[in-house]
Amino acid sequence: MTTESLAGSPVLRLDRVTRVHGTGELAVHALREVSFEAHAGELVAVMGPSGSGKSTLLTVAGGLDEPSSGRVLVEGSDLGAAGQSGRAKLRRTSIGYVFQDFNLIPALTAVENVSLPLELDGVPARAARAAAVTALDELGVADLADRFPDEMSGGQQQRVAIARAVVGDRRLILADEPTGALDSVTGEEILRLLRARCDAGAAGVLVTHEPRHAGWADRVVYLRDGLVVDESGAPVGASVGAAEGLA
Amino acid sequence: MSWLTSWRLAFRLARRDLLKHKARAIIALVMVTLPVFGVVAADILSETTSVSTVEGIDRQLGSVATASLRLGGDHQVVQSIDPSSGWGTGKRLDRSATQADIEKVIGRRTMQPLNLAVQVLAETSHGRELARADQIDPSTPLASGLYRLVSGRWPSGPGQVVVNQALRDRGIGETLTVVSRDSSERKVQVVGTIEDASTRTFPVVVGLPGWLPAGPSEADMGGGPTGVTPGPGWLIDGAWITPAQLHALNDLGVVVADRYMITHADEFHDELGSDGGYSDDETAQVIALIVVMALIEVVLLAGPAFAVGARKQQRSLALVVASGGTPTQARRVIVAGGWLLGLSAAVGGVVLGIGAAWALQPVAQRFSDTWLGPFQIPWSHLAAVALFGLVSALVACVVPAWIASRQNVVAVLAGRRGDAKPVRAFPWIGLALFGIGVVVAVMGARPSGGQLTIAWAAVICVLGMVLLVPVVVSWMARIAGRFPLPVRFAARDAVRHRTRTTPAVAAVAATVAGVVALGISTASDEKENRETYTPSLVMGDAAVSAQPYDDFGDPTGKATDWKAVEAAVRAQVPNARITRVSGLQDEYSPKTWTAVDFEDPTAAKNAYATIGPGPWANVFGTDVIVSDGTDLPRLITQLAPDAAEALRAGKAVVFTADPSTTRLDSVVINVERHTPGKRGHDRSRVTVPAEVVEPKTGMTPPHALLPPKVAAEAGVPVTTTGLDVTQPGLSKSQQKDLNATLLALPTPASITVERGYEPSSDIAIIQALLLALAAVLMLGGTLTAMFLALSDARPDLATLAAVGAEARVRRKVAASYTFVVAFVGAVLGMVVGFVPGIAVTRPLTVTDYYGQGSSGPFLDIPWLLIVLVVVGLPVLSSLLVGACVRSRLPMMKRLS
Repeated sequence: MTTESLAGSPVLRLDRVTRVHGTGELAVHALREVSFEAHAGELVAVMGPSGSGKSTLLTVAGGLDEPSSGRVLVEGSDLGAAGQSGRAKLRRTSIGYVFQDFNLIPALTAVENVSLPLELDGVPARAARAAAVTALDELGVADLADRFPDEMSGGQQQRVAIARAVVGDRRLILADEPTGALDSVTGEEILRLLRARCDAGAAGVLVTHEPRHAGWADRVVYLRDGLVVDESGAPVGASVGAAEGLA
Repeated sequence: MSWLTSWRLAFRLARRDLLKHKARAIIALVMVTLPVFGVVAADILSETTSVSTVEGIDRQLGSVATASLRLGGDHQVVQSIDPSSGWGTGKRLDRSATQADIEKVIGRRTMQPLNLAVQVLAETSHGRELARADQIDPSTPLASGLYRLVSGRWPSGPGQVVVNQALRDRGIGETLTVVSRDSSERKVQVVGTIEDASTRTFPVVVGLPGWLPAGPSEADMGGGPTGVTPGPGWLIDGAWITPAQLHALNDLGVVVADRYMITHADEFHDELGSDGGYSDDETAQVIALIVVMALIEVVLLAGPAFAVGARKQQRSLALVVASGGTPTQARRVIVAGGWLLGLSAAVGGVVLGIGAAWALQPVAQRFSDTWLGPFQIPWSHLAAVALFGLVSALVACVVPAWIASRQNVVAVLAGRRGDAKPVRAFPWIGLALFGIGVVVAVMGARPSGGQLTIAWAAVICVLGMVLLVPVVVSWMARIAGRFPLPVRFAARDAVRHRTRTTPAVAAVAATVAGVVALGISTASDEKENRETYTPSLVMGDAAVSAQPYDDFGDPTGKATDWKAVEAAVRAQVPNARITRVSGLQDEYSPKTWTAVDFEDPTAAKNAYATIGPGPWANVFGTDVIVSDGTDLPRLITQLAPDAAEALRAGKAVVFTADPSTTRLDSVVINVERHTPGKRGHDRSRVTVPAEVVEPKTGMTPPHALLPPKVAAEAGVPVTTTGLDVTQPGLSKSQQKDLNATLLALPTPASITVERGYEPSSDIAIIQALLLALAAVLMLGGTLTAMFLALSDARPDLATLAAVGAEARVRRKVAASYTFVVAFVGAVLGMVVGFVPGIAVTRPLTVTDYYGQGSSGPFLDIPWLLIVLVVVGLPVLSSLLVGACVRSRLPMMKRLS
């Protein structure tokens, strides 16, 4: 990582984002005026107890959910102004998701799962497959291309899921407890892959409740009851040494 | 390119999902394929069974003859291209056409004499039975194709005949006795068995020309100016008959059936007119209505299966959206499944239907009196039916697809269960549609012609009801708190999973709506029959009348031996009072007939003067009774208590339905007599003192009562026409036996006993069939949704097990879910069914008596049927399901 890669416009920016579920007495404030940034080359860990709003932050950041107030910008594009089609486009081209439960489509093979965003974007099947194979190869699972999810181990499925999240030139990776369903050894491998992707220029947001997993991040943001209560690690523009201490 | 790619992805996902979940796919496939299969098979069999004119030409002319030329009687003939449906007559001719006359028109040809379809009686082991006699040499080339020799040989002489298997099966030997209309008998030798081209089950006997008496009687000619069966004639060869030749032959009184003309009718319409065929807007509407109703039912039955599929694919579809797919792209996955299933059902249903029709041909033949036509596949019809199957599947998947595209992606990916929020406008739209349906039904509830409007109103009401189902299910869930756990669980689960509950409830409701509507209409129709029934005698009395018709159905003209008839009756009912009734001699004697009517003597000239109108009772064999006032039947004394006194005073008694004529103290008796062979009628008019009375009771009166002197003065021929039997006390089986005895007398008679209105057994059969149909469709509609509910409820059932619930709670949950779906659907269906059911009673049961008032409408609600359908069937369905579902609960650790 270099200071230059961390400087400049953030890939992801949440600007005083609030998300309220329900109304009246049943209202739940999942996020309260959260401001958050993630830059290219940076891996930010989000930690907090259950119900603190970590997953909501990720779904809002990925355009799967709309904030009740505030703005979400991905590569400068305001998700609120983009509309449903615009947000879908961003998910096809710029944003990659990694879920705890892998969330591969059971009816598609590994390469088809990885090429899914490209196919949805209209990329011809052959080109999409080629790109998917490249992504699988980067993650060391190219030999599983034609297997179905139920024919792979958990670690293999998560690698395929990461391949789907990084296929093409995606600039933002959102990972929601990606090691939750894996053993510790496999979990460490997955985090190493995520770290490598960020080092290659993507911005990453990692939701975790494991401090040792947060150690892979450049910064750790702490949420409680929908509020950012603490932040550790070097923010943008901080010294390289502090950032290197977490790597 | 993007559009194509996303559809390719959608079809890939849909195909793999269907192959992976074969049971669910098969359920949806069966629901859509069955109607396609059934309609295709029925349509093919119908086309095959019906023999068109072109297809049947060989049955008229054989396979070789150019045309048949047959004498149409003593008048010129007016005919269309195909005379088989009848012809008219023109100017009278001095003589019948001869072969020479015909050859002058069409030139010399080979002319094979024939006389077909003459009615005779054949003596069989069952007695004398009607048979069709043909006079033609069946072995000649021109007769080829009319008959096929199955065994034996062709007749070679006048006393030889061949018969068909239908006559053989009646038990005849090698010698056959045949009786003609002139009562002459002849014995002929049966030398072979044939297969007749035009009939399979009617007895046929074929001999050489001349084996029966020469010349047909007038009755043989089909009975009147518009003949159906022409007389003798010829089969001819050579060139086809031109229109000019046809007209010339018609002028000679010859009916022409030309092969080329009939098979190329379109070429001759300008010259000879068409044979009919008309566009029937009402038929098209009925067909459209049936298609729409069938579509709704199939969509509602197949809907739960598609809803299940969409639910099972929820996570995959959420991942598609999370990967950048739009809701439209997510929807396409479900719609692609609809395309795949719809195409499979369409093709499969058509193929299976063709196969079934082919296999069922022998069965159809057994039930048909004529030979089936060639196996015919109406491809245009099949294409329409296949399209119906495809459209059904696509429509069935539209709502689940739309709902799937509205799902909350975050909730699904987080593993939370439940459906997207309902669209708030839908219940209001549903209510509006239902209201429109009620209004349309009221518009259709007019005395005549509104049935189709009411049927369309029913469709609109059903569509509105579908949109109201979620609201009604929500209400059910709200009150479920006071019910036991399984019912409470099932009701609330039904609300939470509207995507699978709504189509199941709607399918049940649509079925019950139809059952209730049909039940009300048939019950009301029956009520009309019951309440408008007019007895023809005093309850328990009997009347005997003559049956003066021969085995050909023609009047015999023989006088009835009333002494023998009376003796036969007295032997059965020795204690009953039996009185002879005299009156106007039967109008249908072949020797003469007499018509009598009664007129108002004060009516203005040229004004309508006849006193009436009818109908009149003819139960004693006449509607004009002649009596001096003694021993009047009880029917008369109850209708007109003063009739005896009037008759004794020498007055006629005339019954009327017009109160304004009761002021008359005299009537004109108008008598017309016809004698065969004499042109015109003899007429006489005489004015006599009379009393014109309205009948005092609801029984049907005779037209009039005449004292003997008045009858003689008016020239009314009088004879004994029947017997009045007071309170014979005959049971139905005794009446049947006595009737058989009377019919077997040399001059037959028959007995009628007034037992009041006897309901038709058809009503009970119809209601039983409706109940069975409702049961089948109710069970079918609930099962799919119930099994999915159990699958969805696995985690909850596991929790119940963990906290100590017994295993049989699973059965109770399944039974409760079935009951909730079936009961809510049945109640909704009942409400909807009342709308068209009540509306249709008006056109169905209002009878206009043409200016004399009207009766109806009649309304009868079959409450027993409704209670059975609305309460009994849901209970039965739930008990059945509860008995069949296994009771083992899932365990928590196995769920992952």
